[in-house]
Amino acid sequence: MNSSSYSDQSKSGAAVRCEGISRAFAGTGLVLDRITFQIEPGEFVALLGPSGSGKSSLLRLTAGLDRADAGRLVIEAEQGTVSRGFVFQEATLIPWRNVLRNTTLPLELQGWEMERAKARAQEELRRVRLMEFAARYPHELSGGMKMRTSVARALITRPNLLLLDEPFAALDEPTRHALQQQLREIWAVLGMTVLFVTHSISEAVFLANRIIVLSPRPARILLDGSIQLTETRTAALRTSFSYVEEVRRIATVVPTPEQET
Amino acid sequence: MKIILGFVLILFSTVAAWDAQATQLQFALNWKAEPEFGGFYTAKLSGSFQKRNLDVEITEGGAGTPVVQMVANSKVRFGIAAADEVVISQARGTDVVALFAVYQINPQGIMVHPERGFKSLGDVFNSPGTLAIQSGSPPALFLQKQFPGYNVTFVPYAGGIATFLTDPNFSQQCFVTSEPLIARRKGKPAQSFLIADAGFKPYGTVVIARRQYVAKNQKQTRDLIDAVREGWIEYLRAPEPANNTMVKLNPAMDAVSMKEAAEVQKSFILGAGAPAQELGKMTMERWSTLVNQLYDLKLIKTKPVADKLFENF
Amino acid sequence: MNFKTKLSSLLPPLLPLILGMALAEIAVRSGWVPSYLIPAPSEVIRSLIDDRVELAVAASTTLSSALAGLLLSFTTGTLLAIALSASDLARRAFYPYAVFFQTVPIISIAPLLVIWFGFGQPTVIASAAIVSVFPIIASTLLGLKSTEPALIDLFALYSASARQMLLMLKMPFALPQIFSGLRIASGLAVVGAIVGEFIGGGGLGSVVDSARTQQRIDRVFAAVLISALLGAVLVGAVNLISALTLGSWHTSERKAS
Repeated sequence: MNSSSYSDQSKSGAAVRCEGISRAFAGTGLVLDRITFQIEPGEFVALLGPSGSGKSSLLRLTAGLDRADAGRLVIEAEQGTVSRGFVFQEATLIPWRNVLRNTTLPLELQGWEMERAKARAQEELRRVRLMEFAARYPHELSGGMKMRTSVARALITRPNLLLLDEPFAALDEPTRHALQQQLREIWAVLGMTVLFVTHSISEAVFLANRIIVLSPRPARILLDGSIQLTETRTAALRTSFSYVEEVRRIATVVPTPEQET
Repeated sequence: MKIILGFVLILFSTVAAWDAQATQLQFALNWKAEPEFGGFYTAKLSGSFQKRNLDVEITEGGAGTPVVQMVANSKVRFGIAAADEVVISQARGTDVVALFAVYQINPQGIMVHPERGFKSLGDVFNSPGTLAIQSGSPPALFLQKQFPGYNVTFVPYAGGIATFLTDPNFSQQCFVTSEPLIARRKGKPAQSFLIADAGFKPYGTVVIARRQYVAKNQKQTRDLIDAVREGWIEYLRAPEPANNTMVKLNPAMDAVSMKEAAEVQKSFILGAGAPAQELGKMTMERWSTLVNQLYDLKLIKTKPVADKLFENF
Repeated sequence: MNFKTKLSSLLPPLLPLILGMALAEIAVRSGWVPSYLIPAPSEVIRSLIDDRVELAVAASTTLSSALAGLLLSFTTGTLLAIALSASDLARRAFYPYAVFFQTVPIISIAPLLVIWFGFGQPTVIASAAIVSVFPIIASTLLGLKSTEPALIDLFALYSASARQMLLMLKMPFALPQIFSGLRIASGLAVVGAIVGEFIGGGGLGSVVDSARTQQRIDRVFAAVLISALLGAVLVGAVNLISALTLGSWHTSERKAS
């Protein structure tokens, strides 16, 4: 993939400072219990935890879609203003818009001229290798294609903070692996801060260079450290000794279902 | 022991009720209780029905009550209808027959606001404004034929005088013995024109029953009509008891209006001063004329034989 | 569809109709059922043919009143639903009154309508609108609530204005429900128009009223048949617009989920 033609802007990410964040919901009780961490610009962070551990809630707080009950959450951009992109668990495309128009949506909402927005969308669709399907409608796409559209849409505003909520969980394994690879490559080119929520240890280890592990509800941080893998992420890496070892290391920290109360 | 007693009691009352039902006669009016039906209520109140062993239940009607169909279907034994309804029904093969006519002179009329300055029915029809009249009814068709170049706008007649009271350009059909009096009491005196004066004069407010029923129950029918005649004679003499009953049944008309109406309608009931025993009886000539008029208005395609339309008792 | 398939799909519903009409014809002709109860089908057909001009004129009056009433109830109902969906408090305060429009028996308030709007089409249109407005309010409210929450999050993420949310997201998502409500409302609008005509005059309502007075039950049936046809025409029109507007994405979405 030719990266040089797309990096017409210098790498720019956002820092996320989370201090003592707590969140409770009526009925479920305390979900996040005084979460504290710091993410530097440009880091690819995996947020790992079992289902219902509040990782999605934390992501939504970071996205500005929810407010914490206590604590401080500050996001600062290296350059310019903070701009977020969000990739949901389901692709959540608008059914009556084709792929191109789904991608241009964020720019339309920000008042961009349609021609400029379409040009930018085409760039992003090329990045995710979906250009030939630009005129198709969501109901004509496979799960993987819909997810790639969702990623292109999230990237179109050149966010310095990209948030993903278990985006590949519903896809089949080959597609999942391919998209993980693509995401990593995109991050390598664009350099934004990525916060990736997942419950899969192998996915977290493959994608991220830093990992935060949450306990079951009420969530506390069990582990906050770097992934000890320096190699470039390739398909071959998945079966290498260093990769498997790292997965095993992380797995010892992550609570198994029997340990959950 | 108690159970057996209770059971016998229930059985007894069921049988008694059944027995009562067997001789209870339904008598359906085609409007709310008004002096138009005063004689019938008097017949019940003063015991005219009872002393002839007739248990008559009078039920009120309203706009659109299908009395003719109810009688033809044996849902009620006796009912009230307009004379033209009898003719039209027979022409269509529904065999109902008229037994007693309350009004010798038909009080159907058109009531208007006196401020309009109308001098005749022609004025009403040829001037602008609205006229509420039952669409398709024989008087409506008769008048529309008589004043063909009419200017007035016809609107449906829904009963009551609500619109008359509020709209100065509004005229409507009425019984001249009834609605204009109510209007005057409500502060809007009305001027009325009799449709009979224009040449359409069927009998008014006739008692009807199925011909087959009358044929099989001659004595009962005679008794009923005798009682009705008695009731009307008494109502003409002293309307108060019946009026008191009717006022409670029909809140649209107050006691004073009823008293006035009972007085005003006397001449319509007695007509040319017939003796009391002839009250309610009808002639073939009047029915023949009606048949011909309805035929000319194209309301019937065949002409029923006049003397089959009524039976005097 | 070839001829055989078309025939096999049309024939079953037609058979009971033909059979029923034949039975009714025999029953009335032989005198077994009196003619004032139901008219012989041949009489109704004759009435349809003889009075076709009058029925056509009356039908077009009723149709125009029903359409006008439907337009009125659609605009008011949609606007009201949008306003109510914006505020939970407003919805809880005013929705019970909307239900009133559903439950009030139109035949009893029609005379009031005449006093307010006068005789003629204004009353008829008002009657049609009152009777048809509630299904629109109810289904539009439901439709506006049926947007995918994730998409609402997406719009919120990019700080979309309330107007953008409504026009670009909520209304298109609500369309299937809106059309569903419109379908129900169009049948009701015809009913409301005819009831209004009983009191206000004109159209098929006055044909029925006049025919009833003259005991022409065949004419009553003919007018009733035409009014049922009007309802079917309106519903068909709504279906057509719905199919054109929603396109393939809606049914495919349904199949996919």
